[in-house]
Amino acid sequence: MKQLFYLCIAVMLLTTLNSCVAVKEYDKIDLNDPDMSLSARSINHFETSFQVYREGASGANGGKSGGGCGCN
Amino acid sequence: MKNISFLILILISVYGYSQTSNEYQKKVLENTEVDLISSLYGQKGDNAAVTGGIGSEKLSDLASNIIVSIPLNNNDVFSINTTISAYTSASSSNLNPFDYKSNSFNTSNKNTSKESKGGWNANSGASQSITNNPLVNRGPTPWLESTGASRSDIWVNGTFDYSHSSKSRNTIVGGNVSASHEFDYYSFGFGGKLAKLFNQKNTEIDLKGNVYLDTWNPRYPTEIHSYIVANEDLNSGFFSGVTIYDQNRLVMDKNSPDAWKPINTTLVTDKKRNSYSASLSFSQIISKKAQLSLFLDVVQQKGWLSNPMQRVYFGDRPNFYIGNASSIDNYTSKSNTDVFQLADDIERLPHTRLKVPFGARFNYFINEKLALRTYYRYYSDDWGINSHTASIELPFKISDNFTIYPSYRFYTQTAAKYFAPYEQHLSTEKFYTSDYDLSKYNASQIGFGITYTDIFTERKIWKLGLKTVDLKYSNYKRNTGLSAGIVSLGFKFVMN
Repeated sequence: MKQLFYLCIAVMLLTTLNSCVAVKEYDKIDLNDPDMSLSARSINHFETSFQVYREGASGANGGKSGGGCGCN
Repeated sequence: MKNISFLILILISVYGYSQTSNEYQKKVLENTEVDLISSLYGQKGDNAAVTGGIGSEKLSDLASNIIVSIPLNNNDVFSINTTISAYTSASSSNLNPFDYKSNSFNTSNKNTSKESKGGWNANSGASQSITNNPLVNRGPTPWLESTGASRSDIWVNGTFDYSHSSKSRNTIVGGNVSASHEFDYYSFGFGGKLAKLFNQKNTEIDLKGNVYLDTWNPRYPTEIHSYIVANEDLNSGFFSGVTIYDQNRLVMDKNSPDAWKPINTTLVTDKKRNSYSASLSFSQIISKKAQLSLFLDVVQQKGWLSNPMQRVYFGDRPNFYIGNASSIDNYTSKSNTDVFQLADDIERLPHTRLKVPFGARFNYFINEKLALRTYYRYYSDDWGINSHTASIELPFKISDNFTIYPSYRFYTQTAAKYFAPYEQHLSTEKFYTSDYDLSKYNASQIGFGITYTDIFTERKIWKLGLKTVDLKYSNYKRNTGLSAGIVSLGFKFVMN
């Protein structure tokens, strides 16, 4: 739970400090490149599924974090 | 179905309302989009959980997913997401290892009952004629797949998702309902989300909540289920006429108080398995070329969290077998093709589990050709599993239309405190599993993908313009021996 505490502190700090940075819309051309998306690629859909089923850990990857059997 | 009908009614109302608005605003989604993804997955390994931590884990899965995203008006998008997945699994086939086709015995056997004895000869304990071909001589074994009904199955899932963006595009709300089904499991889920953007859309905070209400239609190892059905009488039902051997290859006396029996004949008592998850994510643009996100999930699971198909063998109880007695000493070897050990119990795990994963993504646009995508996750749960996941991907534009993206992912986890390998649990324990997915291991995954992009969607199929084609292959290896490969092919179409 110590890690959770540090994460919350980090989130609060970033929230507080975010006004230091404000990239204008017309300057976001590189950030809007599909390769810069802050989410898993859609082609990883089934790859993420098998990782959720085969590994003890799941969640925090934008995928499903509950439900389903994963029996096989 | 009531929930789905209600959702559709709301969407139709929203759509109707949108037609009366004359004010121009750029749509959140300009046109209907269709995403198609298909994948072929294969794995092999020697630690099948259904057969107590040893045995073939050979599995293949062919799956397809289609997502249709429809703009209802300027601000609202409705998505339908359906998946169908068909698998064959050596591990789950051995829910009933006594049901298989033997070339020498009875290839015309059409009995697909999960309790069927299939091609197995109950009297001899093995197939009748003896040759040098193990597939011809085979009997019940954890190392070969059986042909019973549990060998293959189809998993289907449907999700309806709706999202609404404010006119400023700084607030997004949405909800979803989902349902899935496979032969021993049903799942119904619903959830909601709220996203807020501020600081000139440089900062985003997302909140999500999901509930999955799942129900087992439990299936059990044949010998345990048959024992209960036969009122714990080894002289009737499935066991009638069947020879059982002990570890010393001697015929077991079925009327002895020391005869084989599972330690617990009370199986699944609570068919529910519910999951409640809350997610918080924070995304921040750091510069014109860099951005990061942090995310945290809290997942609480309640209900029957163990898998009733999975066998456990205890080290402090005598072992009993059905099949060819001369192969007993060779039981844990792959060369064992004709003897099977009767289970001591099914897997037992606590009825609650709290999972807390948190992680981060950091992406950097190095130049017009190259970008850097990174991901890290730490995971902890109250079953004792702690894990680290790290991945890196380097998308490289080789032309205006093509991008290649090699990737590497490393995963490591500690074992759940309820895990022990085959024959290493004690019958005095309250919880136990020999599922190697819950063991201590490291895994490496190497991937390579290529994307074709046509932003003008010049190639068309009917009214659908092809926007992207994506092809990716990944190879996954555990240090415990399991290896897997997955190839995925995706298409994105935009309706013109």
